[in-house]
Amino acid sequence: MRFRIDEERLTIDIRRAERRAPFAAPAVEGPFATDAPLPSNGVAVVDESPRTVVKAEFVGIVRFSRPTVVRGTSLPEDRELAYVESLGIRNPVRSGGPGRVAAVYVGDGEAVGYGQPLFAIEA
Amino acid sequence: MFGKLLIANRGEIAVRINRAAHELGIETVAIYSEADRGSLHVRNADRSFCVGPGPVARSYLNIPNIISAALISGADAIHPGYGFLAENARFAEICADHGLTFVGPAPATIASMGDKATAKAIMAQAGVPTTPGTDILGNVGEALAAAAALGYPVMLKATAGGGGKGMRGVRNPDELEHAFATAQAEAEANFKDGRLYMEKLIERPRHVEVQIVGDGFGNVVHVGERDCSVQKPSHQKLIEEAPAPRLGAAVRARLHAVALEAARAVRYSSAGTLEFLVSNDEVYFMEMNTRIQVEHPVTEMLYGVDLVKEQIRVAAGERLSFEQSALVPRGHAIECRINAEEASNNFAPAAGTLTDVALPGGCGVRVDSHVFTGLDVPPFYDSLLAKVVTHGASRDEAIDRMIAALGDTRIAGIKTTIAICRDVMRDETFRAGGFGIDFLPNFAAASAVAR
Repeated sequence: MRFRIDEERLTIDIRRAERRAPFAAPAVEGPFATDAPLPSNGVAVVDESPRTVVKAEFVGIVRFSRPTVVRGTSLPEDRELAYVESLGIRNPVRSGGPGRVAAVYVGDGEAVGYGQPLFAIEA
Repeated sequence: MFGKLLIANRGEIAVRINRAAHELGIETVAIYSEADRGSLHVRNADRSFCVGPGPVARSYLNIPNIISAALISGADAIHPGYGFLAENARFAEICADHGLTFVGPAPATIASMGDKATAKAIMAQAGVPTTPGTDILGNVGEALAAAAALGYPVMLKATAGGGGKGMRGVRNPDELEHAFATAQAEAEANFKDGRLYMEKLIERPRHVEVQIVGDGFGNVVHVGERDCSVQKPSHQKLIEEAPAPRLGAAVRARLHAVALEAARAVRYSSAGTLEFLVSNDEVYFMEMNTRIQVEHPVTEMLYGVDLVKEQIRVAAGERLSFEQSALVPRGHAIECRINAEEASNNFAPAAGTLTDVALPGGCGVRVDSHVFTGLDVPPFYDSLLAKVVTHGASRDEAIDRMIAALGDTRIAGIKTTIAICRDVMRDETFRAGGFGIDFLPNFAAASAVAR
């Protein structure tokens, strides 16, 4: 099992993630919502379920890339879903591979913080 | 006045600044790391942004994310608090480049005062008495020669230093080589600048500092002195009080006058502090801090002013709201820092979950804190949990009030400095006042022996 780790420090981190999940973002569907540790590298969290939550790495304004994806959009391959505009720089947000958009957590033009979930991608 | 202020800090000082801003009718924007999601400063602010993961380099020092949060939230100004970006001249410049007001002095002032050797040279030129010492030392050979000329004992100091890091007392030539290497390495690791200079070590000095506030119109006032001689072996302060007990009237007047002169010399605009060593009625300038300090509440209690509000007003281009003649100290104020530290283990920092928190209150008691029952104290940050400040008509009353207040303070689940602070309050030497900065190391050693 992924979280059966002996190091006490890691165990504490997982407990934190459970408690802090409600502050993290809009409610996230699926079992990963409370099970997933918060990312320390800030990019994405992969759970045992085949979903990937794509998170913001920068504080900025999220702008959807064209064609705009919605829940259910199928992605034949890795593509740019949006970018986070921060201090005039466009920081691309990619799906990380093919799949289907399982959730869209933000609206086009919304301000986002670091680690905020943007999309969920189902393999 | 500003419409919206971003507070680029965490913990008790972020809570403190948030209060001042709300009193002034300013909306607030908090920033936080992933380790601080449930923090009080986030709850109290009108809006908040996560700016990075727990480690400070990626969150509270993440300049692009902090600036971006300020811009997208429509903030006019950024208050840096203390620590983190508070004395980062480059950050102050970046704020200005993005049309944001940095709540602090001009970047050039921060830069010159942040470099200790430069600061000392500027102060000496302004006629401020400084500790005899050297310029930057190139190597151990230069250090040995300088120490011989100054006479042992001497103190090695990092020019980029602060918080007691990169400082080493040296008693004889045999100790110098090792001290030079370790101080240099510590300075390099902490400040990315290993340059050292040397000062004559003032024996058993008191640490007395003077609070000043200036505005952009050339008005400067002092708000009295604080005695911060109760310092941990690492030179970090644990207990502060105002006024400084058993300080001669002439020395006090000299400190105030010198601080005003120094502030005028650098055309200081904001709240700031000049730190001095006082030994045998001699006064030596140590450094100037261009930020609001942790211990500012003792001055606020003594003078009945709000230094953070004043700092924000001045940053917004207003004139000082008080003149020197209106600043009259009343009674005595003491602050005890309640840190998540194990006092008996050389104040080693502790982390964990606070299982039970009860903070004191009542007549003449002020508590600045961000903690509550259930809070996780992450391992990434400063160990300060709460500042308990008492004010009394006399020093004795303030001390007795502190003993009672600390008796009412309960923070369970983590090691704290509550007990050692209360023990200090009951100590004869402390009660007598006027001791040097060797007080707490001696006290801690004696307590260890007693155990």
